[in-house]
Amino acid sequence: MPGVDTIKSSWADEVELDYGGLPPTTETVENGYKYVTEYKYNKDDKKTKVVRTYKISKQVVPKTVAKRRTWPKFGDSKNDKPGPNSQTTMVSEEIFMQFLNSKEEEKANDPLLDPTKNIAKCRICNGEHWSVNCPYKGTAMDTNLMEKKAAAAATAVVEAPKTGKYVPPYLKDSQKGGMGMRGRDDTAAIRISNLSESMTEADLDELVKKIGQHSKMYLARDKNTGLCKGFAYVHFKQRKDAAAAIEILNGHGYDHLILNVEWSKPQNN
Amino acid sequence: MRPLMLQGHERSITQIKFNREGDLLFSCSKDQKPNVWYSLNGERLGTYDGHQGAVWCLDVDWTTSKLISGAGDMTTKIWDVEHGTVIASIPAKSSVRTCNFSYSGNQAAYSTDKAMGQNCELFIIDVRTADSSIAEQNPILRIPMLPSKITSMLWGPLDETIITGHDNGQISIWDIRKGGREINSVNDHTAGINDMQMNKDGTMFVTASKDTSAKLFDSESLMCLKTYKTERPVNSASISPIMDHVVLGGGQDAMEVTTTSTKAGKFDSRFFHLIYEEEFARLKGHFGPINSLAFHPDGKSYASGGEDGFVRVQTFDSTYFENIFE
Repeated sequence: MPGVDTIKSSWADEVELDYGGLPPTTETVENGYKYVTEYKYNKDDKKTKVVRTYKISKQVVPKTVAKRRTWPKFGDSKNDKPGPNSQTTMVSEEIFMQFLNSKEEEKANDPLLDPTKNIAKCRICNGEHWSVNCPYKGTAMDTNLMEKKAAAAATAVVEAPKTGKYVPPYLKDSQKGGMGMRGRDDTAAIRISNLSESMTEADLDELVKKIGQHSKMYLARDKNTGLCKGFAYVHFKQRKDAAAAIEILNGHGYDHLILNVEWSKPQNN
Repeated sequence: MRPLMLQGHERSITQIKFNREGDLLFSCSKDQKPNVWYSLNGERLGTYDGHQGAVWCLDVDWTTSKLISGAGDMTTKIWDVEHGTVIASIPAKSSVRTCNFSYSGNQAAYSTDKAMGQNCELFIIDVRTADSSIAEQNPILRIPMLPSKITSMLWGPLDETIITGHDNGQISIWDIRKGGREINSVNDHTAGINDMQMNKDGTMFVTASKDTSAKLFDSESLMCLKTYKTERPVNSASISPIMDHVVLGGGQDAMEVTTTSTKAGKFDSRFFHLIYEEEFARLKGHFGPINSLAFHPDGKSYASGGEDGFVRVQTFDSTYFENIFE
């Protein structure tokens, strides 16, 4: 009785109805795809429209398999509608297989060895080539660096102090003869960063010893692993030594890394 | 690829298996309900309600009419796959760790844990008459496993033998026609066998062991043919039915997961070449160790079930098939 319906509801009622209820779920099938539009309330009591797109594909399967497709659902899925239930079946985000074609390629993925990127930086002249290939190799510019490098390497074998154990400040080697904990003078302090993990206090001492006497040094170590965190502070006795250290060590290659040395910035507190 | 995530379990997955045609995927977990899914679209067909403990293992027979499951509630249950009803419930003296139908589906084998003063034992039962009387029947054969408990079990070729993988890494083969005589045993693995899976024709099987390696064995002579080494315990391994590939899944022990970051967990599936023993691909997805893996019988997809409680069905992209191993 469509006639009765149209008479009963005025346009004003229709608007009311629209705001009150939810539009019904619709299904449309268009060239091989099925679109299901569903309306529901979300957590904030706002209406949401959910459009699901299904691709309809036909498959030829054995009779038994086709028969199993018609089995009614049972157990916890008994009340599920036909088709996947979004509560139990989800499509996860796109993932890709990582292919490792061979050992050579695996190594090539390492950024250090990537031939497309020229990461080489010369220790002698800062050019874009390895130090070995440097045209200034063997000149005065080079020998200065080489000496230091050799000295540092020699002490690298020196046994590192046991880490992770509490040592009272007055027993720390680097504190001896230095100034007290409080009111220390930061004017002759430098910060060395980009140190390798294997760095030890002995290595650091060897590195800065030649430049001038230092009163204190601190090598940041990881709390758990005891490995170097990649930076250290050195307090020199004289400011000019600190300046010299920055001059010499900044850009110096050490343990396959290029050191970065700058003035230590005062703490903010 | 966009894997299907099947979230039907509340606890970690213990085993997943495809049926023979691969249209159904069965999964069981430490919650009490094995699930069955349509593998194509991930739709859940149903749950098998009835166990009262963690379900450790399941298997489906050749015709996809019967499902067998073993659980921590000390029962083995045989189910009607279509309706999800229990056909028979066979009590045991300790929890049931492994269960498998023979290829023909005439017999089934299950093994119990060494616990509560009971020794580990392997039972072989006749399941031709599918009714509750199976529970009262005596098993065809009982083989006590004295040294170490069974953690994984397979039927050998032609249903004549049973291959067992043990807690101590031992693999044994038993002749069930001659009253359960041990034919051979090998100790190639140094730690417990977590999983064993046959290749398509049953001539070889791959083992997954806690000793961080997976090995390929000849299923008759138990000769170790290949070794796939990783640096983490391997929980499951499966052989592709169409390519010379093996997929390995594992990760840290579940107890260590909470103490390390997700990146360190290494929960990806790893693909090894069957013959060259070299890893060629990885696939991420799970955020817990993978407990069970299964290749779809058509080899074009595979499923993995993890400690995170998810089953993921991954369909390979064309790149997987184009990737020719050099």
